Amino acid sequence: MNGLDGGRPMNGLGGLDRPGAPTSAGAWDERSGEWLDDHDDAAGAPAGLAGERASEDRVSADRGAVVGTSVDGTSVDRASAARPDRPARRTGADPVKALMHRHRELCERAVDPLDIAAGLEAHGITDRTAARFLHRDVFSLAEEMYARTPRDGEEPPGTQPLTPPRARPDWILLTLLPGALCAATVTGLHLTHGQSRLITAAVGTLVVTLALRAAVARGPLAGRHITRPTATRIGWLIAYALLGDGLLRAAATGGPDALPTGTAQGPWPLTVAPVLALALSCAPAAWCAHLLAVRARHRLSASRALKDFATSAKPLLLATLALYLGALTALLTLTGTTLHEPAAYPQTLTLGALLLLARLLTAHGFTQAPALVLTAAASAEATALATLFAARLPGCARLATPVQSLLDIWGPAAIPTIACGTGALTLLLHAMRTLTRASAHAPQDHPC
Amino acid sequence: MDNRPSRHRLVRIRSSRCEPPGERRLPLWEIGGVLVRIGLITEGGYPYVSGDARLWCDRLVRGLEQHEFDIYALSRTERQEDEGWVPLPAQVSRVRTAPMWAAEDDGAGYGRRARRRFAEHYGELAAVLCAGGLAEAPEDGSALEADRFGNALYGLAELARDEGGLVGALRSEAAVRALERACRSRGALRAAREARVPDLLTVAAQLEHALRPLSLDWYEDDGLGAADLCHATSGGPAALSGLLAHHFCDVPLLLTEYGVRLRTHYLAAPDASPAVRALLATFHGRLTAEAYSRAALITPGNGHARRWQERCGADRAKLRTVYPGMDASRFADVGESTDCADPDSLVWVGRVEPTKDLVSLLHAFAEVRKEETKARLRIVGTPAGSEGAAYLGHCKALAAQLFPDEAEGPHTVGDNPVSFEEIGDPELLSLADAYASGAVTVLSSVVEGFPIGLVEAMLCGRATVSTDVGAVVEVIGGTGLVVPPRNPRALAEACVALLRDPERRERLGAAARARALELFTVEQNVAAFHGIYLEIVSRTPVRRVVLDDSGDPLPFAVPAEAHVPGRWTERPHGLVARGGPARPQGAPVRATTIPATGGAR
Repeated sequence: MNGLDGGRPMNGLGGLDRPGAPTSAGAWDERSGEWLDDHDDAAGAPAGLAGERASEDRVSADRGAVVGTSVDGTSVDRASAARPDRPARRTGADPVKALMHRHRELCERAVDPLDIAAGLEAHGITDRTAARFLHRDVFSLAEEMYARTPRDGEEPPGTQPLTPPRARPDWILLTLLPGALCAATVTGLHLTHGQSRLITAAVGTLVVTLALRAAVARGPLAGRHITRPTATRIGWLIAYALLGDGLLRAAATGGPDALPTGTAQGPWPLTVAPVLALALSCAPAAWCAHLLAVRARHRLSASRALKDFATSAKPLLLATLALYLGALTALLTLTGTTLHEPAAYPQTLTLGALLLLARLLTAHGFTQAPALVLTAAASAEATALATLFAARLPGCARLATPVQSLLDIWGPAAIPTIACGTGALTLLLHAMRTLTRASAHAPQDHPC
Repeated sequence: MDNRPSRHRLVRIRSSRCEPPGERRLPLWEIGGVLVRIGLITEGGYPYVSGDARLWCDRLVRGLEQHEFDIYALSRTERQEDEGWVPLPAQVSRVRTAPMWAAEDDGAGYGRRARRRFAEHYGELAAVLCAGGLAEAPEDGSALEADRFGNALYGLAELARDEGGLVGALRSEAAVRALERACRSRGALRAAREARVPDLLTVAAQLEHALRPLSLDWYEDDGLGAADLCHATSGGPAALSGLLAHHFCDVPLLLTEYGVRLRTHYLAAPDASPAVRALLATFHGRLTAEAYSRAALITPGNGHARRWQERCGADRAKLRTVYPGMDASRFADVGESTDCADPDSLVWVGRVEPTKDLVSLLHAFAEVRKEETKARLRIVGTPAGSEGAAYLGHCKALAAQLFPDEAEGPHTVGDNPVSFEEIGDPELLSLADAYASGAVTVLSSVVEGFPIGLVEAMLCGRATVSTDVGAVVEVIGGTGLVVPPRNPRALAEACVALLRDPERRERLGAAARARALELFTVEQNVAAFHGIYLEIVSRTPVRRVVLDDSGDPLPFAVPAEAHVPGRWTERPHGLVARGGPARPQGAPVRATTIPATGGAR
């Protein structure tokens, strides 16, 4: 191999233009070609007229001739001349028809005459072969074949359906990981006390964060373009779900007087159930995104116009979101009853919807809107907390009025619900416009 | 490294540049000599170690050391880029590379005006694609369509230069929608009207890939604009880069094609849907025609490529066939020696593939054995890929079936008259040894491009029997026997004729070697390109201001030449046979000068 490669300078050049091996159902070698020819003749001209016979003979004499050139003038034509008794091959009066029959698939598939010419050359037909069909070159032979191929009436072969993405075990396992680790951490928090509880909490947070990163790095939730860094905002939103309600309540009543103890009791209680439910919902989220991708691919294959796809993709998107929210509700109920905590439905469901939509948009290449909306939601929550503390400054007591009145009417859940709910709604409206575009679901791995 | 002013944040395709190691060479000025600065554009080739045609480019660059080369390389795969470069000679002043396999889309959208510009140009492009290919459009309409295509292409290129972000835009919904609108419009191709949404997405993605050279930052005055001429070493993306350099910087373009790129596109994706194939065939056809019409000269590598180029609308006056050059020194010993190792053996050398039709060769050899009982056949070559390996196994089995082992006498060990060998075996240390080991070299392919093995056999001074495929007749030119492909009997008779006649064999071999030394050596290749470079430069006015030693502009340093765009004389009719695109008779219309709003509709 090396000897050949190193020694042959033009290998690469030949490679540029290497014709493909024949793939058609037509005849490939001489014998099958003859077989096809003969059958064609037998069907087309059962009883040849005298005139036809004459032309057949002429053509077959042509075909039998051996092209031979040599410097010393002797021709290899002797080869065929020496065997006059060989039975003349039966060729129809219309040799091009036989050729078209042989390359039927090529002709039907061709988009222009050059396409046929390229295919014919790949099958070894040269200008000298074309001369036998009374054509000057392969191009004019291909033009005749293209013109004679019937094109009207029959339905062109349809587009092959796009291959839907497969569920792969690696991302399935990875999306289960954050939930499992989070559950382990919660168990650890319940079993430990004092400093070891602190260490458990710190280690648990770190491990769950890493698992989350790994879960969204591949599979249907993975972003395919450069993503904007949104980890801090998401981290803040989840931290608020964990600590925010307790802090808000404590702040409204003049606290907090102590750091959280890591339990649901005390002056600054932790709400672990929603966070655990969110971590567990990574797996359903990935499955929902996967289902969306698969169904969207099917719709893509089935739709003829871009508008059709947009129309059919809208209910799909809504169904995906509803499915996820259903799963999240079930998980919330489960964690709430297990941990004996009040399941904070409104704020967790809106947060879940916000996170899922942001991730879906990012995964399909729309990174700007999720980053903006996440920032807005996070800062709204931060502002609510900040106003409560700022109101303690002398003369600023009125700053706390809006948050305080919200707290009085709906309780501390109102703040995250409103922030995340508005964000989720905005993203949903955006997604209804962008995720229903065909280009958002275009397969990425095109052969180039 | 990006060389643009910092206010531009435009480059989407990373482009790197570097100077070769070693001292910077000062240009050699000779009396009467001309230093030409050549921008050599390659795609997936030189200077990458695994590139196509790297040896040819390397010999060209090394052979023309009086000139200066800037290499602009598009790499085809990440692996190719990782494998590194071949050592570069001192006349290569710099190398800039860009990946064709990765284009970053930063997600930043266009503003309103840029969006409108994009929609306008892309819509125009889509409309041209849906209107049909070169072969179908009527004569008069074709020129108009070609102009619309050029305007749309250069419009997109200018947009990429001004605003960047073309990669994202080409994949956006706006692009897909423009394609859909064009496909559904009146007068669209029948295949295009059948296009479904997946087809549109595929076409958009493929167009994005094909148009990646538009996003490069090469077309500046310190990039390709600084070159005296652009030499695109293949069609496709490299030619597109050359076209853009011609458009933006008025650098003349020399296009070399050893294999016809358009033909490769036709053969590339036989399974795609008709709409995708039709639209992409039109795109590549139009792009090729545009490159042919703008190129100063076109150098096909053989008559086959030349015929394709003529068919695609290349002007015959621009075509200069330059045969690829081969290193003749390796074969000098064998070629000049008169003794022959084995007067009864036939040799086949090459890569083992189904298209080489070794089966037919074995059947022919069976016929040869009936006439010449002492004949032997040596098949020298390695299989190409798994398919080739399977084919080689098949051939070995067939050889064992057809020819039983035989021995000289009752007491010697027998051997098969057909042997399968590889270069590197103890007996065959080099390629020349392989050719030297036989009296007659046989080529039995059914499909062939430019037959390198045949040229090597000619350089070795061997008589040859080959099948009439590809450029064989053009290469052999009467210095060997040619038989039709897939005709074992004719092949056998030609072989027997040569085996029986050593004198004729010698005569043919000497003639073949003389012909190969005349036509297919590196020297003729390099000399031909040298002449072509000078010819192009002599016809192109110098656009730069020449500075004197103190850095002041030197007036009248270059002669003022008349440079008239378009043609002086009317183009002779009938050169482009049967429906090839005809350029407009007058001066070409440039995209820059006209705001394209409603220009062509």
